[in-house]
Amino acid sequence: MSKFANIRDLFAMLKREEKILTDFFEKRKLNGLKYDYVSDVLENQDDRIKYLVDKEVIREHSDTFELDELYISFFEQALDANEEINISYINENIETIKQNINYYVNEKGETKRNEYIRKIKNTLRNIGVITIHNVIDLKRNVENTYKTEANYKNKKLKLQNFDKKSNDINSLILQSEKLIDENESSFFAATLDDELQTIISNLKVSLDKSKHNLIEIKKQIINFLNQIQAQSIFIDKLRKIKYLKDQVTLKSSTDFIEVLKKKNDLVFDTAPQYPLKLSLVALQTDEAVRESILKIAARKKCGIKIQRPIAEIISSELLDTKTEEEIFINHEVIKNAFLASGYSNLLDYMETYKYPKEVNFEDIILIYCQLVSLYETDLVFNGEYQEKNGVNFAIVTHKQ
Amino acid sequence: MIKMPSQTADIFKILSKGLFISSNSSGKATADLFEVIDSEGNFELLRNYFLNIGFVLEKGDQYYYFSRQETKQDLEKKIEKAYKWIDYVDFLKTFDTAFSAGLRFSISDILTKLKIDADLEGKLSAIGKDAKSWEDAVRNIIDDLVKDSFIELCNEISGEYKVLAAFKYIEDLIMTININTEEDAQ
Repeated sequence: MSKFANIRDLFAMLKREEKILTDFFEKRKLNGLKYDYVSDVLENQDDRIKYLVDKEVIREHSDTFELDELYISFFEQALDANEEINISYINENIETIKQNINYYVNEKGETKRNEYIRKIKNTLRNIGVITIHNVIDLKRNVENTYKTEANYKNKKLKLQNFDKKSNDINSLILQSEKLIDENESSFFAATLDDELQTIISNLKVSLDKSKHNLIEIKKQIINFLNQIQAQSIFIDKLRKIKYLKDQVTLKSSTDFIEVLKKKNDLVFDTAPQYPLKLSLVALQTDEAVRESILKIAARKKCGIKIQRPIAEIISSELLDTKTEEEIFINHEVIKNAFLASGYSNLLDYMETYKYPKEVNFEDIILIYCQLVSLYETDLVFNGEYQEKNGVNFAIVTHKQ
Repeated sequence: MIKMPSQTADIFKILSKGLFISSNSSGKATADLFEVIDSEGNFELLRNYFLNIGFVLEKGDQYYYFSRQETKQDLEKKIEKAYKWIDYVDFLKTFDTAFSAGLRFSISDILTKLKIDADLEGKLSAIGKDAKSWEDAVRNIIDDLVKDSFIELCNEISGEYKVLAAFKYIEDLIMTININTEEDAQ
């Protein structure tokens, strides 16, 4: 096993194996890539595989290959896709500064001293950058875990771990602040130049920002943990209630009925209807209403079609013209004849009159009454009666 | 003469039908109504106003609804509805333990989970005995909840639904029920 001799070789390898390395990285959460697959992508060139294994870029497990942790880490951090928050870097950086300050103090040579100062400056810069990076990563991971982690228990555990992490970062920030403020202030005072001053003030700003962000993150974590707690309490209750309901003991084992009795929420109503009558005033005056009325009237008209029942064919028998004769008594003629005659008593005259048809006594009574009522202006009743065939007749004469 | 908010009629129209006004409604009109009720002083104003006609404006966690002053409702119907909701919530929480206000989901999500979760399938068959297919059964449940304004369809094309704040009403109802402990049962 050997590492790369120089950086050019490293870059050459990265460029040459871009495809397979990308594949490895994208599938890093799976159980490695199979030998056949890797061989395929590398066009069956076994020496390339051997090279990668030799340089510890990829590692072999039974018949699968995995990308080395070093590269995974680097890619993840460079792409902001890391889920592990490594705070050891900050710790080391702090240590490095302390050590370099020590070296500086012990060293009298100018060049070496400058070297140490440069190292300290770079490390200070680093601390600021890494801290902020860690804080951002932490926030991202907290949110992702809450939103995507399906397993309840693990969600809770992960969030609790993130909480611990945030505490760790906080203490490191405090250490860093202490470092540049009190402990070694003699060193910094002595070596203060513009560049160092800028670096230190930038660092202070970064650390401050990080501290504030951490407070927010902590709040968020507590919030999430509370929500999870509330959810799990609810789910517990829900399961119990559902169980009781399925056992049909919900009413007897709980105050379910009382709770419902107390609630008069409208949501329990079955679609309340408020059918309202039309305003009479609107019916009489509103133009739009009038149009609606006309529309409905027209619709109603078309709707009902009066069916004329078609009659059957009239039989030919019925079409024959039949004549029926009826002889009727002309009262006018009788009256004129009576007036023209010398008779003074209508009844007497009527008995002698030649009727156009057979009349019996009953008919004569009828005609008599009809004549009297029809021509009361021409006939006079003098108040006397005569009897004929058992019927009392009023004596009627003509006007003189 | 105190000036009532101009949206009073709209608010009444929705709440009097037994529906909820949620703060996270995707329909801007409804979300605006929530803001109106929620804003300074309006809640008391509206509450007193509606009390005059026998409606009580109730406040929930990011939602509002009406209740009546006098008991007029059929207890049997209330029990039936509550039973139905208990089944629904149990089913939905099995589908996703985080099922609550704000969650977005689609019917196909549920159908996918049905294929791999036997418990979920069992619960659905208990609820949707008469349905012809799983999809119909799920659709019935979701449509029922949409009708009562607990969920709303926010994207017709993708079939995405959103759980409204009013869903918490059912959760709160369940939490209110007290289970008798052993001592009480004696």
